[in-house]
Amino acid sequence: MAPLLTVNDVKLTIDGRPILKGVNLVVNEGEIHAVLGPNGAGKSTLASLIMGINDLKEPDSGEIIFQDKLVNGLDITERAKLGITLAWQEPARFEGITVEEYLKLSGRNNPELDVVECLELVGLDCSYLNRFVDDTLSGGERKRVELASVLAMRPKLAVLDEPDSGIDFASMEDIANMIKTMRDRGTTVLMITHREEIAEIADRATLMCDGKVVQTGNPKDVGQKFKTMCVKCEVRNPELVGGE
Amino acid sequence: MATKNVLDTVAKKFIQIGLPKDLFERNRFNLLVDRNKIIVRYPAPGVRSEVIETPTGVKTKVYVEPGTKLEEPVTLCFGAAETTEVQTTEGEIVVGEGADVKFQVYGAMAEGIKLKHKNKLKVRVEKNARFEFLDLHYNGEDTFVELDTETDAYIGENAYFRSVFKQTRGRAGKVRIVLKAQVDKKGVAVFETKMIGKKDDEIYVEDVIHLNGEESRGISKSRIIAVDETKATFVGETYGNAPRCRGHIDCSEVIRGKDVTVKAVPVVVVNDETAKVTHEAAIGSIDKKQLETLMARGLTEDEAVDVIVQGMLR
Repeated sequence: MAPLLTVNDVKLTIDGRPILKGVNLVVNEGEIHAVLGPNGAGKSTLASLIMGINDLKEPDSGEIIFQDKLVNGLDITERAKLGITLAWQEPARFEGITVEEYLKLSGRNNPELDVVECLELVGLDCSYLNRFVDDTLSGGERKRVELASVLAMRPKLAVLDEPDSGIDFASMEDIANMIKTMRDRGTTVLMITHREEIAEIADRATLMCDGKVVQTGNPKDVGQKFKTMCVKCEVRNPELVGGE
Repeated sequence: MATKNVLDTVAKKFIQIGLPKDLFERNRFNLLVDRNKIIVRYPAPGVRSEVIETPTGVKTKVYVEPGTKLEEPVTLCFGAAETTEVQTTEGEIVVGEGADVKFQVYGAMAEGIKLKHKNKLKVRVEKNARFEFLDLHYNGEDTFVELDTETDAYIGENAYFRSVFKQTRGRAGKVRIVLKAQVDKKGVAVFETKMIGKKDDEIYVEDVIHLNGEESRGISKSRIIAVDETKATFVGETYGNAPRCRGHIDCSEVIRGKDVTVKAVPVVVVNDETAKVTHEAAIGSIDKKQLETLMARGLTEDEAVDVIVQGMLR
């Protein structure tokens, strides 16, 4: 498989604190790639740099290459037009916008858009089309709508930041199936998570710790490394356990 | 009553500024007034009305018979197709006991005109009645209106009154909106104002709700988008005067532009130990996460702002 996204020796310091310390990552076209690591490892910062959000349009040094094009410095819309999107860990709420409108906005360049199917794939029925994407949706419902909007857009690369957070344990299988469907429909998935059981649905996984890549490979092996290395490390270094 | 030619001319000008074509094509209006002339008048079942032309506008008295329940809204339009110095409208609406009706009122000020519009409205919603008053304003981009409107409402026992003022097309102009309500036992008053100000528009909105009856409820909600050099002030006052009454003031104002001035003044007064009145106010630029979410789906920043703003004003 050809590389779709390449992150080359990316370094980033925020407020004098090094967050990414030379990250290298290759995401191949058509795969589900999990980035696993404890809180504070730099995973969400890396996701932000790939999408260009949170004022992170480019790293201090290093390159982010998408389909042979350097995306450093591009704004969010330009990256989205190349085929990159991101689903937030805690998605934004929108007053006065219905789920149907939101999905249609997301999928406005998808000629095969079927909003009902997008909802069904995330375990919601068509009664949600008239609901508003606001505080009246529960955290889990809003998260599912966000994943449905990624399905509606059908991007080349979907960066999913903690897709399992806010989803009850019984529904995890639905979400795992939905991510696989996303891949089967031609979207490469880069999934950020701190749970090795979620990372196991991936084709490949990368373990990040303290702003660096520790290992890339089979999700089971990477998950095992995470359990043995990072859990002990968190116990020894509680300062690593915190917000990213 | 006007000839078809007059109606066609008015329709053309009002459709140009965004009024739904369907209103004219399907003869939806129960009353259509251009400046001080009655153009269309058509009765609604269970609704008695008296409309008098005055030198500067119209005076209306509307009485909704007790128990009247209408599926379709009563549709009214008070507009100006041409410039006139001042348009004055005075109205009185009584919604009889147990009635359930909705009034859809269009304010249409044609492209390029200038005028002062003064409006005074008294509303009485009797026991167990339900009344929604949707006041939808359409102005042209080059229209300048000085709008001064005052509504005084009494909401009877177990009655419901919702007043929505919406101006989403064209310039707001210089606007003063004052809405006052006295709410009786178990009555409910809901005031919503949704506006966008552009250039040097000035917007002043004042909602005053007196919760006088036991278990009465009041909500005052404003959404104001202030662009360019707009000055906007929202004053929300709610008085919790009775046992177990509940009130809430919810004000959210978005600023887009360096020279915008926006002020929110919530006033919460409670005179009974079991009453509860709360407020929330937020003034700021467009939420960054909302913006970035839509941009990550391929919308440009301007498109994303438009989607967010139109959602808030809905």
